[in-house]
Amino acid sequence: MFQNKTDYDRGVNTFSPEGRLFQVEYALQAIKLGASALAIKVNDGVVLAGERKLNSTLLEPRSIEKIYEIDTHIACTASGFIPDARTLVEHARVESQNHKFNYGEPINVRALTQIVCDLALDFGESDSKSKTKMSRPYGVALLIAGVSDHGPQIYQTDPTGTMIEYQAKGIGAADEGIQSILKEQYKQDLTLEQAERLAILCLKNVMEEKINNSNVELAVITTAERRYTQRTSEQIQSLIDKV
Amino acid sequence: MIDFDPSTFGLAHTYQKEDKDEINTLSMPSAPQVIYRSLNGPTQTNGGNKLNNFKHGTTTLGFVFKEGILLAVDSRASMGSFLSSEQVRKVIEINEYLLGTMAGGAADCQYWLAYLANHCRTYELKNGSKLSVAAASKFLQGILIGYKNSGLSMGCMIAGTDLSGQHLYYIDNDGMRLKGDIFSVGSGSTYAYGVLDNYYRYDLSLDEAVELGVRAIYHATHRDTASGGVVRVYHIHQNGWTKVHDGIDVVDLHYKFAQQKGLVGDGDEAKQRLF
Repeated sequence: MFQNKTDYDRGVNTFSPEGRLFQVEYALQAIKLGASALAIKVNDGVVLAGERKLNSTLLEPRSIEKIYEIDTHIACTASGFIPDARTLVEHARVESQNHKFNYGEPINVRALTQIVCDLALDFGESDSKSKTKMSRPYGVALLIAGVSDHGPQIYQTDPTGTMIEYQAKGIGAADEGIQSILKEQYKQDLTLEQAERLAILCLKNVMEEKINNSNVELAVITTAERRYTQRTSEQIQSLIDKV
Repeated sequence: MIDFDPSTFGLAHTYQKEDKDEINTLSMPSAPQVIYRSLNGPTQTNGGNKLNNFKHGTTTLGFVFKEGILLAVDSRASMGSFLSSEQVRKVIEINEYLLGTMAGGAADCQYWLAYLANHCRTYELKNGSKLSVAAASKFLQGILIGYKNSGLSMGCMIAGTDLSGQHLYYIDNDGMRLKGDIFSVGSGSTYAYGVLDNYYRYDLSLDEAVELGVRAIYHATHRDTASGGVVRVYHIHQNGWTKVHDGIDVVDLHYKFAQQKGLVGDGDEAKQRLF
């Protein structure tokens, strides 16, 4: 299907005769090049995990940030073109605080996800009068996970601006591998620790490098406390040992 | 939603002088001239309708000591001779490591301290580290200078903890920012200073400091009609802040202190039967 490189794939917001926006579809391909990331929702909270692709033994593993805190009760992980993720996360953080400022309450996960998705299709040529916008689609998919009054929730966003709620989802190069493990082993009433072990198991099985406590990142937000907590390397190591 | 950008929101707006007005041979930028538009006519500080001039009725105090910082405030809001509330919360919890006190216009303090909270949290997420107390208070000063002469009324203390310790700043609507060991703000501040300056030592214990703060507020509420209600006390330490007292009624304190001195506390100790 992608061999038919026609003239309609040059213009960023030009529809092809079959009704496709090629640039947006190509942006979706960028996600398939990304390092693995996943999120799992259980009654006790949400778990986020990401693979750190360490290209050199000389780099500081903790400088590669895979899981981003958006607010105390919401976090996200990304796969694809990571600088685009930074822009989206930045926007999410500001909008989350603005919501708290205006309404005196934490923003709920769905509303925050919608705000991020609103940016997805706001690309193209900007004229001098209106606000400058992105010249191209974002090449990243986010898994936004958090706890609000609606309980724990996970949403996936992609360059098309679609948001889909999941119970458990993996994204990136190995997304099919992660999804098949999750389909077998996921249950909604797993404990948080079981969910964390499942996350580590998924990464262990799909990562090319041998999993260790510095090439993965793991974070949780519990239903009880609604507070983002990143797992330390010691905690990750003990989970790896149990898997 | 509204974009909150102090330079475009509010009363003041700036314009640049037209380049054709003057030939600026030095190529130095000319300062923008600020036009102040007042919403309700010129700001009145001393005159105006005294019945609405309830703004400064308060006693708040804060001091630095060896266990951190102690903040104590009263809880009265009065509109002239009308008591609008005895239960106001004049310590604003900006975030887990910063507190602000309210004196002057309650609305101005609540709004701008909430705005400061928004900014601190966004900064913390973006930069991976918390804003220092100095930086947070500086940011607030910058906002207030932008609204100078526009009628904002705020006399806040910003107190908090950061990597370099616990710090106390005083910020007001004139754009003044002072770092200090002891501050008291509001109509009852003079009475509070009398007690504070007499008994303050850096090496007070936590209990002694709480006692000092409570006493100072009590004495201010006793003599200043615009202060009263209950005393609220907060302690700032290296792990954040703790609410020590959520509200001690000053009337109860009156009789407690009188009893400690062996007095009755009815205003006629010499039994002169004047009334």
